[in-house]
Amino acid sequence: MSCCSSSVPFAPPPTLPPLRRRCRAAALTLPTTARAPRSAAVRAALSDPFVLEIAEKLEDSLSSSDAAASPLPLQKLRDSASQSLLSKRWPSTKDEPFRFTNLSFLRSSLLLPVPSPTIPLDPALDSPSPHLLAIVDGHVAPSLSRLAALPSGVFAGSVSALPPGPTLDRVLTALAEGFGDGDLFWDLNGVGAPDMAVIFVPAGVRVVDEPVHVQICYSEGGEVGSERLPVSSPRVLVVVEKGAEVAIVEEHLGIGGSAERCYWANSVMEILIGEGGKVVHSYVQRQSVNAAHIKWTFARQETSSVYELIEVSTGGRLSRHNLHIQQLGPDTVTELSAFHVCQNNQTQDLHSTLILDHPRGYSRQLHKCIVSHSSGHAVFDGNIRVNRFAQQTDAGQLTRTLLLAPRAAANVKPNLQIVADDVKCSHGAAISDLEEDQLFYFQTRGIDLTTARQALIFSFGSEVISRIPFEPIRKSVTSQLKHSLATQ
Amino acid sequence: MALLTYSSTIPFSSSSSSTSLSSRRFPATLFRTHVSVPLNPWRFRSRLPRPHAPLRAKATLTVDSPATGDASSRNGSPRVLLQVKDLKAVIKESGQEILRGVNLTIHEGEVHAIMGKNGSGKSTFSKVLVGHQDYDVTGGSVLFKDQNLLEMEPEERSHVGLFMSFQIPVEIPGVSNFDFLHMAFNARRKNHGLPPVEPLEFYSLVTPKVASLNMNPKFLDRNVNEGFSGGEKKRNEILQLAVLEADLAILDEIDSGLDVDALQDVANAVNGLLTPNNSVLIITHYQRLLDYINPSYVHIMEEGMIVKTELIAHPRALMHHLKSLLAVLLADYHCPPLKRV
Ligand SMILES: Nc1ncnc2c1ncn2[C@@H]1O[C@H](COP(=O)(O)OP(=O)(O)OP(=O)(O)O)[C@@H](O)[C@H]1O
Ligand SMILES: [Mg+2]
Repeated sequence: MSCCSSSVPFAPPPTLPPLRRRCRAAALTLPTTARAPRSAAVRAALSDPFVLEIAEKLEDSLSSSDAAASPLPLQKLRDSASQSLLSKRWPSTKDEPFRFTNLSFLRSSLLLPVPSPTIPLDPALDSPSPHLLAIVDGHVAPSLSRLAALPSGVFAGSVSALPPGPTLDRVLTALAEGFGDGDLFWDLNGVGAPDMAVIFVPAGVRVVDEPVHVQICYSEGGEVGSERLPVSSPRVLVVVEKGAEVAIVEEHLGIGGSAERCYWANSVMEILIGEGGKVVHSYVQRQSVNAAHIKWTFARQETSSVYELIEVSTGGRLSRHNLHIQQLGPDTVTELSAFHVCQNNQTQDLHSTLILDHPRGYSRQLHKCIVSHSSGHAVFDGNIRVNRFAQQTDAGQLTRTLLLAPRAAANVKPNLQIVADDVKCSHGAAISDLEEDQLFYFQTRGIDLTTARQALIFSFGSEVISRIPFEPIRKSVTSQLKHSLATQ
Repeated sequence: MALLTYSSTIPFSSSSSSTSLSSRRFPATLFRTHVSVPLNPWRFRSRLPRPHAPLRAKATLTVDSPATGDASSRNGSPRVLLQVKDLKAVIKESGQEILRGVNLTIHEGEVHAIMGKNGSGKSTFSKVLVGHQDYDVTGGSVLFKDQNLLEMEPEERSHVGLFMSFQIPVEIPGVSNFDFLHMAFNARRKNHGLPPVEPLEFYSLVTPKVASLNMNPKFLDRNVNEGFSGGEKKRNEILQLAVLEADLAILDEIDSGLDVDALQDVANAVNGLLTPNNSVLIITHYQRLLDYINPSYVHIMEEGMIVKTELIAHPRALMHHLKSLLAVLLADYHCPPLKRV
């Protein structure tokens, strides 16, 4: 491991002043360094009052639960996040990344950081995998988790349970590398994360047949129409060392009374894959249809590593997945597939960026989306950058959207930016209704239109769902989708 | 009444076995003097050995005694299955008239063929019969088993016993052939007030049908028609017919793109499905299919109308059959023994 102990002081770091004070200080010092007309704008940008208000609330909620006693990685995360937050504004539809994604639902709600949950909560939490890592309202819940069967050397749990040693050092270096392209929500998570779940797989170890099931649950919810919006900020860090392999199922859901309630999940998963390592990441988002779900997935891939992501998102009134993949060495394989369903008044948004900086990367991206509600909205912005040194890259991208209701909307923007000259790239986009000829074929064989439509819609998604490697999860996603299609 | 059955291998098929279904028979109509008392060749079908029956003598003349016919044929007049009168249809989008007054009557147990040039309206006619959304019926009537077919949804037309194999079957990615057949089978059962059949039971029901069409069982796992070759698609259509069964099967160019073996498999399957009560309407450009599945009537379609109907009892057709009979007899003497598949 490449961690030098000198960079990781074990003495408690000097506590930074709270966000409020630092921000004022920044605003006050600026006029002396910039000319007056400009400084007003800078100050306005620096002190988006709405952003500050949320950040302060988040900070306050943590200090009440004794933030000073937090483990070092969390403290570092919070510090750097609150620093970078100072320059962030609440995005509007004038900002390209949110051009089609309206955040007014969040803006107009009363945002309330969730208190620490009272665990144990919901005995119904269970997993078909022997490895269950439960996170409730942002806190790892050891009493609901089941991790004894993991191979030795593998760590899964709260960062606060990580003893000083090489694993903790590795976590700190991984975090120290930071993420320059994170947006406001990335930083808000950093400021508000009450805990951090860590999955660490040491070199050469494989956790493949039975995945680590990361169940991220939300127990606090406001009544529909109450405008109360509990906010929680789950954070997960996955470190897979050289030649190691792990299968992860990341699942987000409201539990208890929250299955139908309003809340805001602002989560981050950071993944670091060492040389020759492999992560198969199934991501199942089945939040309450009244929830806001904003999630970052940031993966870094070293030489010859493999990252597979299979996303199935059906929940959330507002669901935004920001996916960023950075290639750190040559010969990487990246396979991304996503299936989004908008069966209600909901927005399903995937913004992905894949940056290839090294030779011989292979990547495939498949985005599929169904909008079957007249105020449903699908958004896809898939950016693949093949930079100068990424020669012999083979990149493919395909997006298909089914619009099944009048006025249903989709904005898709697949885009490849290619600087290298020796590459093989393809992309395509299609937006359509179900094929009449296919429906007719079903009918001529005695299958009524409703059943035929369901079968075709389901088959559309099964191209993605069938890639979920762990059968029990694949089956439960399948049956849940079948059920929701049938009850529409 | 007796039917003269001539069983032999088909003269030009060197590799196939002489199972009964590849046998050449005289259609009963051959011996009829007038059309109003049509004999049902299919009545005797069930008495013949099924596919993969032991090898039969290659050229034998057998006399089959008639089976006990159903009520309708006992009293001498088979029921009308399909009655099309002056059917006119236009393309919905352009209003262009394609069918300009089609007349056709098919009785139970009859095999009909429609031939005609490209673009004469054969496929349009069959698609209008099964209720394709691209066309508007602007005149005439269609009765199927005395019911107004034109008022029914396509799936209802299927449930009352109408089947059409598509000239170009559509691909359905993401839906496995097995699931599709299973859905269709259970939809039919539901319509008949029967409980659904579980996948396992259905599997054991469908696999013999797959085998009898010489299809690889893997076809059940593949997506409907996706990546199938032309011939495989046609076999798949017949598999659906075999699973769903139909009183009237319209086979639109089921023979195009088939090699001799595939043609024989398909013809065998169709022949095997024929009973005294059901009928087939074959659309084809080639005589060769009609050598396997013998029609009682051949209609010629031109510019959206049936302009000519030929009885197979026509002297020319009789000559044709005598010629092929002779060919078989001669082939038997001069050809090396045929191998079984
Ligand atoms: N949906 C449609 N849209 C436009 N034109 C059509 C449509 N359906 C049929 N036609 C036209 O109607 C005419 C008859 O077509 P049809 O497919 O019925 O012919 P066919 O007799 O089956 O020909 P073939 O022997 O080539 O299969 C053709 O000119 C065809 O182009
Ligand atoms: Mg045709």
